[in-house]
Amino acid sequence: MRDTVDPDFASFVDARQGRWLRTAYLVYGDLERAERALLRAFTQLSLHWVRVDDPDAFVQRLLYLPALKPWNRAKAFPDEDDQVKHALGELTPAQRAVFVLLHVEELTEFEVADLLGMSQTAVHGHGLSAFGLFRTALGAGDWRDAK
Amino acid sequence: MRREDVPPLLFQVTDDLPEPDLADVAWAGGLRVRRRRRRTVLISVVLVLVALLVTSILIEMGQSDGGGKADALPLDHQPTGYIAPAGQIAGIDYWLAPPAGSERFLDRLDTVLGDRLALPDKVNRLADHKLDKVVAVVLVKNGDGYQPLLLGGDASWSQADVSLLPVGGASPLSPGAISPDGRTVAFPQPGQLVTVNASTAKVDDYSLPGGDFRSVSWLQDAQRVLVSAPGVAYRVVVGEGRNGEQPVVRINGAKDPEAITAPYRIDSGAVTRYLDTGRWTEDSMLPLPVQSWVGQTFSSVGTVARLFVAGKLPQVPAMVSQPQGVAAISTYRSVPSRLLMLDDPLTGSGDVRDPGCCAVLGWYDEQNLLLQVRGWVLAWDLDSGNVRRVTELAVGELALGPGLSG
Repeated sequence: MRDTVDPDFASFVDARQGRWLRTAYLVYGDLERAERALLRAFTQLSLHWVRVDDPDAFVQRLLYLPALKPWNRAKAFPDEDDQVKHALGELTPAQRAVFVLLHVEELTEFEVADLLGMSQTAVHGHGLSAFGLFRTALGAGDWRDAK
Repeated sequence: MRREDVPPLLFQVTDDLPEPDLADVAWAGGLRVRRRRRRTVLISVVLVLVALLVTSILIEMGQSDGGGKADALPLDHQPTGYIAPAGQIAGIDYWLAPPAGSERFLDRLDTVLGDRLALPDKVNRLADHKLDKVVAVVLVKNGDGYQPLLLGGDASWSQADVSLLPVGGASPLSPGAISPDGRTVAFPQPGQLVTVNASTAKVDDYSLPGGDFRSVSWLQDAQRVLVSAPGVAYRVVVGEGRNGEQPVVRINGAKDPEAITAPYRIDSGAVTRYLDTGRWTEDSMLPLPVQSWVGQTFSSVGTVARLFVAGKLPQVPAMVSQPQGVAAISTYRSVPSRLLMLDDPLTGSGDVRDPGCCAVLGWYDEQNLLLQVRGWVLAWDLDSGNVRRVTELAVGELALGPGLSG
């Protein structure tokens, strides 16, 4: 491992860090935790940089899976007045992760299932319930009216 | 709200987030982690090496401090009832035999000889009741001569149809009379050798050129017998000899006829091995303080045994008689030799084992040596040091064969 940063690694990080920080912020509901998780994922990637076949999947797993762990479930968006943040904070960590990955990262349910180690059925259920709760929290009515 | 309305709402939440610059920090963090891992591996290897070094030093110190710790390991493999040796004589471990008079109370080695070996009431003619294997031979006095009684493995007695003359005023039964295969019994006679084949009841005699023959000893092939008189000895082919082999060949004799044995003999301070040329070659020196050797030498796998009478031994002070013992000399360097001293210094009764009272009778198996001690046959277990009684003798001379252990 070289002492100075690998140019390819730097290009990879520069191209993705902004988007993944925003996604992680929405999933964790805390900017500090999101930054810490993203930095840890990139650090791990730097250790295996030359050997990793799919760096995107490698980083995303390290970034989102810790949010689902039982010991890592701090309240998301605490004391926020923003309605959207408040609505996201009402979701469970699994619902929030699935909801964000489906709507921000625009992954399919199969890709989300593979990334988070869930079944596609579970992802579908989390996505549906998260959308309904999100709508209700924003005062948009019953989710079954959505099209 | 429709699904298409969700992403703009979420992007709106993250609009005011700062733009991170994590590439350099992440790479530096990776370097730190990698260095820490290397350091941990290095320290672990060093710790393991140090632990191995300390362990080896401790083992080395334990061996050097203990002195006998490595030697003590075989204790784990000692047989049940192991008795520690009483001391050493001329560098050889010795055990003390149970005192005279206590034979009756020893543990018994059960054999076909029974608890007490006496002349039988019922005896078959050998021609009518042939024996596959002879376990023991005793002689019955018949006028001036003797008739041999053969004990078979089925505890039946058969009398051979031959009359034997006394040799040197004594009975013509040598302790080594029975062949290694147990089929033939040989008797020294004045000027001849007589053999009785127990499986065919055939009696053969082989004339020898003079001599007052008193001792016989079989070679391991059970085809040849060494016959000896004071100062003269012959090797006699009684079975199948080699092509052109002389049936009777004179070999080196000895003053003591019973010293002539094969494949080993113990006398003159050395263990010697019999060669086909009729000579004996030195196998090992024997530094025992021996005054005289008694009886014949009997050889097992790796051990040679004979009884000896010693002069004064500080280790075994004799009250009335002279110290005597059995020397079981190993022919392997890795296996120690052993002694069984017969005189108990605490014995003050009338049961004194005088020199000549006792002799080696043969081997029960590879580890048990059979001794005739006054009116008893005892078995000495060389591995454990235990002495057991085999039978009480109500007969005179006795020769034992290989069939005793079944």
